This record gives sequence, structure tokens and C-alpha cells, in this order.
Amino acid sequence: MSAADLGVVVAALLTLAVFSFLYRDNPFYRFAESLLVGVSAGYYVVHYFDAGVVRKFWVPVVQQGQLWLLPGGVLGLLMLARLHPRGQWISRFAIAFYVAAWSGYLIPSVLQERILRQVAGTFLPAAGTTSVGALLAAVLVLLGVAAILVYFYFSAEHRGLLGAASRVGILFLMVGFGASFGYTVMGRLSLLIGRFQFLLQDLPASLRHISH
Amino acid sequence: MARGAWSARLAQGDRRILFLAVAATVAFPLLWPLNLPIRVSREARAFHAEIEGVEPGRVILLSFDYEPDTMAELDPMSLAVLRHAFRRGVRVLVMTTYAGGVGIAERVLAQAAAENGRTYGTDYAFLGYNPDFSATILRMGESLRGAYPTDHYGHPTGELSLLQGVDRYADIPLVVTISSSALSEYWVIWAGGKYHARIVAGNTAIQAVLIYPFLQTGQLAGMLGGLKGAAEYERLIGRDGAGVRGMDAQSLAHFLIVLFILLGNLGFLLQRRAARAREASP
Repeated sequence: MSAADLGVVVAALLTLAVFSFLYRDNPFYRFAESLLVGVSAGYYVVHYFDAGVVRKFWVPVVQQGQLWLLPGGVLGLLMLARLHPRGQWISRFAIAFYVAAWSGYLIPSVLQERILRQVAGTFLPAAGTTSVGALLAAVLVLLGVAAILVYFYFSAEHRGLLGAASRVGILFLMVGFGASFGYTVMGRLSLLIGRFQFLLQDLPASLRHISH
Repeated sequence: MARGAWSARLAQGDRRILFLAVAATVAFPLLWPLNLPIRVSREARAFHAEIEGVEPGRVILLSFDYEPDTMAELDPMSLAVLRHAFRRGVRVLVMTTYAGGVGIAERVLAQAAAENGRTYGTDYAFLGYNPDFSATILRMGESLRGAYPTDHYGHPTGELSLLQGVDRYADIPLVVTISSSALSEYWVIWAGGKYHARIVAGNTAIQAVLIYPFLQTGQLAGMLGGLKGAAEYERLIGRDGAGVRGMDAQSLAHFLIVLFILLGNLGFLLQRRAARAREASP
């Protein structure tokens, strides 16, 4: 019996223990849930420590003498001050640095790539397209965006033309929510299919290996 | 009275019966495949064409931006992309932005490399996990070796033959992100927007709907969405895998969910009508 086959059997038993919750809460489910939390915590602590502290700090600073990385390490240590109630304020220096850095490289990039490029993309297909279908789709996108923006315009009462455009905006929103829901169903079912593939295909193969 | 009881049962039936029905619907085609047709979408063809367009010997970057909770959807995609690249002689540099992605990337990479007889360090390499994806993606635009001084196994990246002449996005013809979260957007924003990297993305179904706008603007060159996207890619490379095998179950389960929605709404409408009738009666 190989360790891999044994692992498959254990994973199958744990999968069934989690599925048992669909009937009702029970000790098998709670055991599997606690095990997942414990194993995950151990796994992540080790990986984060290795990747963050050992590889990014200890090796370059202590072993290779790259002292210019030291201030980053000190900021990281300041974060640990959050663990003590009286020293929590110290961690704010590190948080402030992190927020400032994130804002600095996120805000201009997001403005450019997620807003300006997307606004341009609302119009561009109509400019470059030649087929009637693509042109209609581009017009539909443009109308949809405009109608939804009207729906979220709250500085005037939604009556008359504004009200009509707002109702069209709701229709587009509903289509968007529907597509999102459909994809969500597909995603959740994929996870279930993955587990069933494991139980119906991988598990029997491992059981055959073990029995031989 | 009988109709009221029937409608109440429709609207508030025992969930466990629904769970059993879904389980049976998913299990049946996995045991006895129906081989329902799979239509390949335009975005999957675009994704495939991007890998097909990379010259053999060039290095592409593949980032495993997911953890075990979405393996069922994304593993088939990653495996299909690696099989395609290796088969074409394209070399692959692999990384992950999630600590939980390390084991997944190692397993999928080992499988695809073994199937195609590829050698570590020459044909592929695994950089591993780096904390702070934002700094990593940005730093790789300046220097890949700066972001990853060593690979996952501690070898200096500068000594890997795979990385000779490759040190930034400008040296990489294609970045592939297989993602369960907004990571695809960040690749677009930083690697694409700031460093003009060419990017294709494979996403979970839930995430796919948020990624489409980037495809329309050309910020993404191709896209795969959910298990369906994986199945499409498997068909395109002519090698069926877990994606195609799962699509029968997916299709049947979707029919069942639609049926549940219709029945649930029918029950709700009948109950509402019965309540109105009771209110109207003296």
C-alpha cells in the first residue's frame, strides 16, 4: 500500500464526513471541519514564515548582508506590537506605510486600467466593427451602461424620461445578476463534480491498488 | 386544500431530497458518460491561439493563482495549458501568488512534465510562492530575478538555464494566470497596464463574469471560464481530461437546477394565489 493510496482513502473518508452535514450536523462533520482548520493553520504558518521571514528577511539581511532591507523588517516587527494592548499604536506606523504604498501604486493604475480603459471600451467596439451583429452588440452595451448609470443617478426623481431609462437600467442589471448567478451555479456544481470524480474514479483506483 | 398542500411542498420541500437529486444527477453521467456536445467559445479559441502563437523555445510565465478550494475547476485548465505548451516545445516558468497554491502547482507541473519528458531547469522551473502579490507582480516587471532570487527549491534563479536572457515581462511573450480571485485583474492592471505584458486568463466560473470586460477591451488576449472553459481547452488540444469528463454532469445538473427554480417559483405563485383567495373569501 503506497502513501498516496492511503492518502486518497483518508481524503475520501473526510469528504464523506463533510458531505454528512447535508443530512444534519454530526461529530464526523465537526471532526473533519476542525481537522481542516488545524491543518490549514499549520500549513499557512509554515509557508508564510518561510516565504516572508526566512527568504525575504533572514537570508538577504543576515546571511547576505543586504542591510538596506532592514527598515522593511523593522516595519514588519512593528506589526507584532498589535498583539499587546498597550503597544497597539506602534503598529500604526507600519500600517500607514503599507496603506500609503498600496494607494500609491494602486490608485493611478486602477484609474487607468479599470476605469478609463473600460470607459473607452464601452465605445470602441462600435468604432472598429463592420459586422451588423457586432455593431448591434456594441450599441446594446452602450445603451446598457448609460441606462444603468441613470439608475444610479440619485440627484433627481426618476420620472418621465429619467424614470424610463432607469427602468431599462434595472432590466440590464437583472440580466447581469442572472448571468452572475448562472456562473455561480456552474462554479459550485464544478466543485461538487470534482469531489464526485474523486470519489467515483480516483478512490476505486486506489482501492484496487491496495487490494492487490 | 390538496392544492395548497402541494404548493407548500413545492415551495418548502425537504432540502435533503434536493441534495440527493443533485448527487444522483452528478454521479450518473460520471459513471455512464453521455458524451454531450461541447461548443468551443471564441474566447477559448483566442486563449489557445495565444499559446499556439508562441515560438518553440520561448519562455512563458504561468501563475497558479488559486488554492485547493477551486482545484476542481482550475486544475484541468492548468494541466491542459501545460500539456499544450510542453507539446509545442514552449518552456514554462511557473509561480503562485497563494501559499496554498504551492502543492497544487508542484503536482500539476510534475504530471505535465513527466508526460512530455521535460527537464527541470531547462524546460520549466517553479519559482514558488512570494508574499505580497502586488509587489511581486510589479517587481517582475523590473527584474524577475530580483523578485525571486531563488526558485522554490533554493536554486539561484540566475543559474537556471531556462532564465538565461529572461528577466522581465519584455522577455516573456505571454503571461498566463489561472485564477480563482481578482488576481487576473491585478495582472491586467500591473503586468499589462504598466509593463505591457500580453496576458491570458483562466478563471473560476464565478470570477469569469467579472473578467469579460477586460477581454472586450483587449486588456486580456483570451479567457477560459470555469470547468466549461477547461473542457473547451481540452477539446482544442485534442486531449480530453477532467474538464470534458465533468461536462455531462454539469449539463444535467444545470437542467435539474432550472427545474428546481421553475418548481420553486410555481409553488410560490400557487401559495400566493391561495393566500389571496383566502383573503378575498368572506
